[in-house]
This record gives sequence, C-alpha cells and structure tokens, in this order.
Amino acid sequence: MGGKTEPANGESNQTPMVAQVSMKPDLFNFSLKTLKLKVKQQELLIRVGILCLVYVLAFIIRLFSVLRYESMIHEFDPYFNYRTTVFLTEKGFYEFWNWFDSESWYPLGRIIGGTLYPGLMVTAALIYWVLRFLRFAVHIREVCVLTAPFFASNTTLVAYFFGKEIWGSGAGLVASALIAICPGYISRSVAGSYDNEGVAIFALLLTFYLFVKAVKTGSLAWALASAFAYFYMVSAWGGYVFIINLIPLYVMVLLITGRNSMRLYVAYNCMYILGMLLAMQIRFVGFQHVQSGEHMAAMFMFFLMQVVYFLDWVKHMLNDSKLFQAFLRITVTCAVGVGALALGVGMASGYISPWTGRFYSLLDPTYAKDHIPIIASVSEHQPTAWSSFMFDYHILLFLFPAGLYFCFKRLLDATIFIVMYGLTSMYFAGVMVRLILVATPAVCLISAIAVSATIRNLTSLIRTKNKAVHTGSSKGSTSAKASSKASLDQSMPFQRNGAIALLLGAFYLLSRYAIHCTWVTSEAYSSPSIVLSARGAHGGRVIFDDYREAYFWLQQNTPPDAKVMSWWDYGYQITAMGNRTVIVDNNTWNNTHIATVGRAMSSYEDEAYEIMRSLDVDYVLVVFGGVTGYSSDDINKFLWMVRIGGGVFPVIKEPDYLVNGEYRVDKGAAPKMLNCLMYKLSYYRFGELTTEYGKPPGLANSLSSFLEEDVWDVPANIFNCLVPASDAIAGVCPRDTLANIMYCFRYDRARGVEIGNKDVKLEHLEEAYTTTNWIVRIYKVKPPSLSALEPLVSNKTFAEADETASSYAKRLIVGPSIIGLMSGNRAAQ
Amino acid sequence: MDPLLHLLKIVPYSFLRVPRTRLKLPSFSLPSAMTVYALVLLTYFMVVSGFVYDVIVEPPGIGSTQDRVTGAVRPVVFLPGRVNGQYIIEGLSSGFMFVLGGIGIVFMDLALDRNRAKSVKVSFASAGISSVVIAYVMSMLFLRIKIPAYLS
Repeated sequence: MGGKTEPANGESNQTPMVAQVSMKPDLFNFSLKTLKLKVKQQELLIRVGILCLVYVLAFIIRLFSVLRYESMIHEFDPYFNYRTTVFLTEKGFYEFWNWFDSESWYPLGRIIGGTLYPGLMVTAALIYWVLRFLRFAVHIREVCVLTAPFFASNTTLVAYFFGKEIWGSGAGLVASALIAICPGYISRSVAGSYDNEGVAIFALLLTFYLFVKAVKTGSLAWALASAFAYFYMVSAWGGYVFIINLIPLYVMVLLITGRNSMRLYVAYNCMYILGMLLAMQIRFVGFQHVQSGEHMAAMFMFFLMQVVYFLDWVKHMLNDSKLFQAFLRITVTCAVGVGALALGVGMASGYISPWTGRFYSLLDPTYAKDHIPIIASVSEHQPTAWSSFMFDYHILLFLFPAGLYFCFKRLLDATIFIVMYGLTSMYFAGVMVRLILVATPAVCLISAIAVSATIRNLTSLIRTKNKAVHTGSSKGSTSAKASSKASLDQSMPFQRNGAIALLLGAFYLLSRYAIHCTWVTSEAYSSPSIVLSARGAHGGRVIFDDYREAYFWLQQNTPPDAKVMSWWDYGYQITAMGNRTVIVDNNTWNNTHIATVGRAMSSYEDEAYEIMRSLDVDYVLVVFGGVTGYSSDDINKFLWMVRIGGGVFPVIKEPDYLVNGEYRVDKGAAPKMLNCLMYKLSYYRFGELTTEYGKPPGLANSLSSFLEEDVWDVPANIFNCLVPASDAIAGVCPRDTLANIMYCFRYDRARGVEIGNKDVKLEHLEEAYTTTNWIVRIYKVKPPSLSALEPLVSNKTFAEADETASSYAKRLIVGPSIIGLMSGNRAAQ
Repeated sequence: MDPLLHLLKIVPYSFLRVPRTRLKLPSFSLPSAMTVYALVLLTYFMVVSGFVYDVIVEPPGIGSTQDRVTGAVRPVVFLPGRVNGQYIIEGLSSGFMFVLGGIGIVFMDLALDRNRAKSVKVSFASAGISSVVIAYVMSMLFLRIKIPAYLS
C-alpha cells in the first residue's frame, strides 16, 4: 500500500497535495478491488456455497426422529446390522468375518460371516475408529444412527459431479439439491435407519459416475476407480445385480447405435474383470459372477466385445471387403455356436444356476404371488400405485419426461446412459415399491436436466432481449437491420414479461416441492417403527414404547439360555435388544423352519405344544393391536402364517380359517380360527380388560365419536344388568354408556369388531408378561409335567363363568384417557 | 487336427457344392430419436399409472360404497385409507396428468425453436403453459383427495 504512494511523491513536487488527497480514495478503492472477484471466481464461490448448503440440508432434514424421540435404531433389519457392528468393533474383523451365531435360528444357527454384506458394518466401524482415534468418545450407536444421513450428504456431492458430466454444472447443482430432499431417498436413509441402502445408493451413484467418466475419457485410471466403487457396492447391498446388468445393457445399446470406440472397450473390460475379481472376495457373493444366471449378461457382453473388436481389427488389417465378409460370416456363426453350446452345457449341468426367485419376480411380477409366499408377503414388495409415486416424487414426475426429451435431443454417451438408467429403474420401481429408492437418483438427475434446460431457455429469453435493445440503440446502421430489430422489439416486451413470469412460476413449483418433501419426511418417514405414537384426544402426542419394554423384560426376567418363538418379523429385535435365542428371524433363509413356526401358530394348542416342545421353545411372543388399534399386529399377519405354513405342511389349509373367503375374527369366524394358538394368545384375558381412570358421568363428552359404532348386539339379560337405573338418566344417553361398556367388552380396535371367542383358556402356556398397552404379549411354555395337572390346580376359568353380568360390569370402569386416546387414534386412522 | 481337416476337405466337399443363396440378412435401420421418445412416453405413462399394480392385484376399475341412508350405490373413485393402493381409473387419470405436465414443458421448449412461424410458436407456448398449470393443479387435487391429511 505504501509503494503506491511513493512514485507519486518521488515523481514531482507539484502533486504532493494531490497524492495525499488521492491516498484515501486509493485505500478505499484498493480494499474494494481486492474483495471484488473476477466472474469466474464469483461463480466458483456461488457453486461451492450452494454445495455446502445442500450438504448440510441433506443431513439435517433426516434428523426429525432423533429430535422427536431419541437417537435409536429404527425398524427391524437395522437391529441386526447394529448387533453385527457392535460385534465387529468389540471382537475385530477376523472374528466378525468367521462368526457362527448360535443365538438365532435355533437349533440350526446361522453363519453370519458368510451370509451378510459387510460394507455397511465395516464403514460404520471405520468411522467409529477414526472418531475414537481423534479422541471423540462416541458410542457406536450414535455412529450407526447417523451413518445414513452422512452418506446421503455424500450422495449429493456425487450427484453434482454426475450432473456436471451429463449436462453441465447448472444441472449438477439442481440435481444435488433435488436428491438432498427427495422423499424416495429419505425413506430409507433417515437417521436411525441403519440399513444397507443408506450406504448402497452412494456406492451405486459413485460406480455409475466413475463408469460414465471412464467411457467419456477412455482412461484406465477412471475405469479402475469404477471397479473399486463396484466392489464397495457389492460389499454393501444385494442390489449390485442391477449394476452388473445395466452396464452390459448400456454397452449393448452403444454398440447397436454405432457408438463403439476404444474408450468403451477399455472402460468396460477393465471394470468388468477387476470388478468381478474383487466381488468374489465377499463370501456371500462367492463365485456367483461366473455361476449365477443373473450375472451372465455381463459375461456375454464381455465376450461379445472381444469378438466385435477382433472383427474390427481384422477388417482393418484385411483391405479386401469380400474376403472380410466371408470371414465375418464364419466368425459370427462360430462365436454364436460356441456361446450357445457353452451356455447350454452350463445350464444343463447345473453349474449356471437360473435366476433366483427374488430377481425373477422383477421380470415376471406375477411369479411371487403364485409361488413364493414369503416374498409376496412383505409389504415393501407390492407393486406400486400412482399415489406412492406422487408421494415420493411430487413434481419430479412432470420433470422426468421433459428431461428425457432434452436427453433425446442431445444424445451423447453420457445422456444415453442416464436415459437407460432412468427407464430401467422406473420400470422396476413400478414393479416393487421398495425399488423407488433405486430409481430416485436417475429421476433426480433427469429432472435436473429438465430444470436446467428450461431455466436456461427462459433466462436466455430475458437476456437476448437486453442485447438486442443495446445493439439496436447503439448501431442503428442499415435500415434492414433496424427494421428487423424493430419487429423483434415489438414482440419483445410481451416475451420478456412472460419469461419472467414463467421463471417465477418455476421457482414457485420448486418451492412447493421443498415444502412437500419436508412435510412427507416429517409425517411419514420419520417414525421409528419400534416406538409408536398417536394423537391423544386433545391433540397431544402419546407414545407407546411397548416393544422395548417387552424386550427389556425378556432380558431381565428370563434365563439367559431361554428360547423365544415369535413370528420372523421380530427376530432381529429380540436378539439385539432382548439378547435371547430366537427360532426364526428376518433373514428368512430357511422356509421350512418358518413354516414350522407358522404351523405352530395356526394349529390347535395341543399340536402347537408338540411342535414347541420339539423346538425347545421356552417363551412365545405375540404382537396384539386390539387395545390400541395398532394395525400391524400378528392377527392381521396371520393369513401369511397360514399360507407359508401351508406351503410346506399341507395339513394347514387356508380355507379352514376363512368364512366364505373372508377373514373374520368375530362371532362368525371359522371354528379353526377361533381355537388356534395365535387367536388364543392374542385374546387371552382380553374380555376382562379393565382400567381405573375416571368415572362414568364424565364420559359422555368424549364418547360422541362412539355414536357411529354398530356394536349393539348385546344380549338382553346383560343389558339389563349393565345399565343401572341411576346412570341411565341425567342427560347421559344410554347409548353412550352402552358404547362405553361394549367398547371395553372385547371390542377389537384393530379389526373393528367384537371378538368371537370370549373366554380363552390356555392349557400348555401361561401368561408371562403383557406390556402396558397390550401390544406385546409374552407367554411361558409350561414344562410337560405340570400341564397334566392344570385342570385340577387352577379354577379361575370356571369361577369367572359364575360371575353375574352385573358384578362383571361393576369391575368395568373405563377411563377417559383411554377412551380419548382411542377416539384420537381413530381420527388419526 | 490336420489329417481331419484334409479328410473334411475331401469327403463332403468333393461331391457337394455349396449353393449360392440369395438370402440377405434383413437390414434394419435404427428409428429416429423422437420415435423412441414417443414410445418411452407411452411406457412411462403405463408404469406411472400403476399398470403392474393393476395386473397383479387386480383392483376393480372403480370402487363403490353404499349410502347408509338411502341405500343407493355410489361410486368411489379414489381408494381411501392407504397410500399404496389404487383403482384402475384413478391410476390412469393420474398417469395422464403426469404425462400432460411433461409434455407441457416439452411444448414450451418447442416454442423457442427459431425455425417456426410466429403463430405456431405462440400456440406451442400457450399450450405448454396451460398444460403444465392444469397438470400441476389436478395432480395436487388428486393427492389431496387421496390423502386427506396432506399438508396439515
């Protein structure tokens, strides 16, 4: 700064005053000038700023459930991942890789080291060890809960670079912003959802980005990088099959459209061979890349590329076209013949296995419904309705076809890839709801192309308007030019305003998208399924923590070697939180074992007891939603138990449990339904449900919602006993009191009916624990010596039958809190 | 291998002559990009209308409910209660709205093409804008009917 003034001083004596005066404005100008960046630097600053904001946004929008409840693992599958991660951090990688677990699938056990995808656990463990190394004393649970949002933020960065490759940096920025809040992705990567998909989508997009980069540049380094990204994807999720089929399809399309080049050759060969060799390092995948039918497309493409390039090389060497034609014919027939022969021998000898059921049902969606009930029973595997698409994508559904149009207008290698990814993934998303997740990056990228192209058009409309006015006013030379400019000038004002209005409209649509995404995340996708919540009568939130209560009870009050039988949904949670051995769990690898449990649940108590004795079962756990109106309980899943059990043991027949094809649990239900083990365990003691809060006169106000109910078929003698004369007057409508009583008198809220079999007696089991809101019920299996003495020992069931209805009713004091709770629940439903 | 080849050369090919066939592999030319795009739009319409859902779950075309007071049977267009469920007609109409919105944006882009007459450009632009507006409003309406608690 001083140097500037020196020449002024040294130059002449005339200007010392001027120099002094000019020093201050010089300083002022200088500081402004240093701050003023060049246009390119400004653009870089804006871009980096946007990316940082999007990174933070992607992380914090996924934190709703951590803020509302606590930092805990959600759902079912993440508990298994959590348990294995804890094992990994405690015992080390060698123990983890060779782990045989005898606490699940009793008595078979499970080779965990060889039947899981280790990517997620190893990633979380690495983050944990890095943080520990930096002396942050975090618990592994916090790392597990926040792994998915962290990787979602990283996915936005990869989306930016991918968008930049395909279309331009503007499209990249829009893509990263769209994918940060897209509900299709948030649904599986919310904080607490510690599942493979959280990491796998990052790996998927990274693999695709690196492969497209390799095809664009033809560089070996990028191809190697994509092979390693593919290895990470294989280690993370079984959905890697999508990559290994999409990339050969893409190569095929490029060959067909005549875009083959050395770059494609280098990229595909390197990625396939190295990726295949790396993928074989995962024990669960093993030799599937050479043995399984699902991976054969990639191998076929590999050999086809060699043939194509061989022919190309021969054509280049031979300058004679006729000879080349003959050679071409011979080679093609030979290649096709040898290939068909190899494939035929492979499939006939059984070396190459056909497509497994899970993936075959994607090609033929009707397959699972008829043949594999376990796959068909999972609610995530149902086909997608339009509302699921709208819920998860909102305006991206409009932008997707528009983006496809822009891609088709400018067909390059990269845009062909994103079009293929978008179309194939949208088809699979239509087949199975769960796969909306895989389609989300493609939809976001293509929509970003539409947004970027449209906004570019609109802003160019606004800008050229300015330029034309300027040149028109400054030059004004020849009359022709002036007239053309003048004619343009006439339409311009209308166009310019229209373009500004459309730009505002585009911003309005994008802001509505952001509002929608936030609402969906907050309401629909942030619930840890292990903790249920409902709105009480006065709008306050009520939380049911029954699951954890039951698992904690199991951990504290049962012997350490106790075996628990439940439906497979709860297996992972019982092993992770209750720390007890289970019979079947969510891995569902052994259909016969699950069918045995299903048979036990749907048989009469005696047969079920035999099965339970043979499996050494000590406790049985059922989930029951009749008191709270929780609809995902075991009675609603019961038909699947029947179907799966009946699939292996023909003695269980589904029509036995239905009445005229209808599934009922009320008086008109099938007799086998009313006496099977699941029914008994769910409704045991349900008829005597009593609560203690409040008094009858105060109930009329909160019972208005019950006037709609139709449960009026009370036998006359009970009715007369139940309604004491004093209560029936004084403004309290008898109907209210009746509803009140009927309500707690074995009215199943989840099914909406009064149950059929009122007095449930259990012979071989006894109730061990029922949670506060009756959601989880645990029963102890009695050892064989006591059950023979049961009828002589306990008389409670006979004594109950002697009570008169009036004394029964006097024990029924229904509290306003439960009623209010339930009417609030009904409104929420 | 060699004696075999010599044998092959002599045995069949000495008395057999390969006929000169005039068969040609049918040559196919690739369709234009916009033809493919039209097909893609059609498949997109089918997928997004829940076509696979219709084929597998086989819902009725339109639902019905009985009026409690009069006993008349009233049609129900939108399947209530679940997000992932639909009747056939509601799926098709929603899918049509989505495709309409997409086509609207395409029309808006076509309106900026310099090689067309001004009136054509103006009509493209107005058709595009109205399509997008109608598609968005209708889709929001459908969503609100389907999910009553939307945005509350």
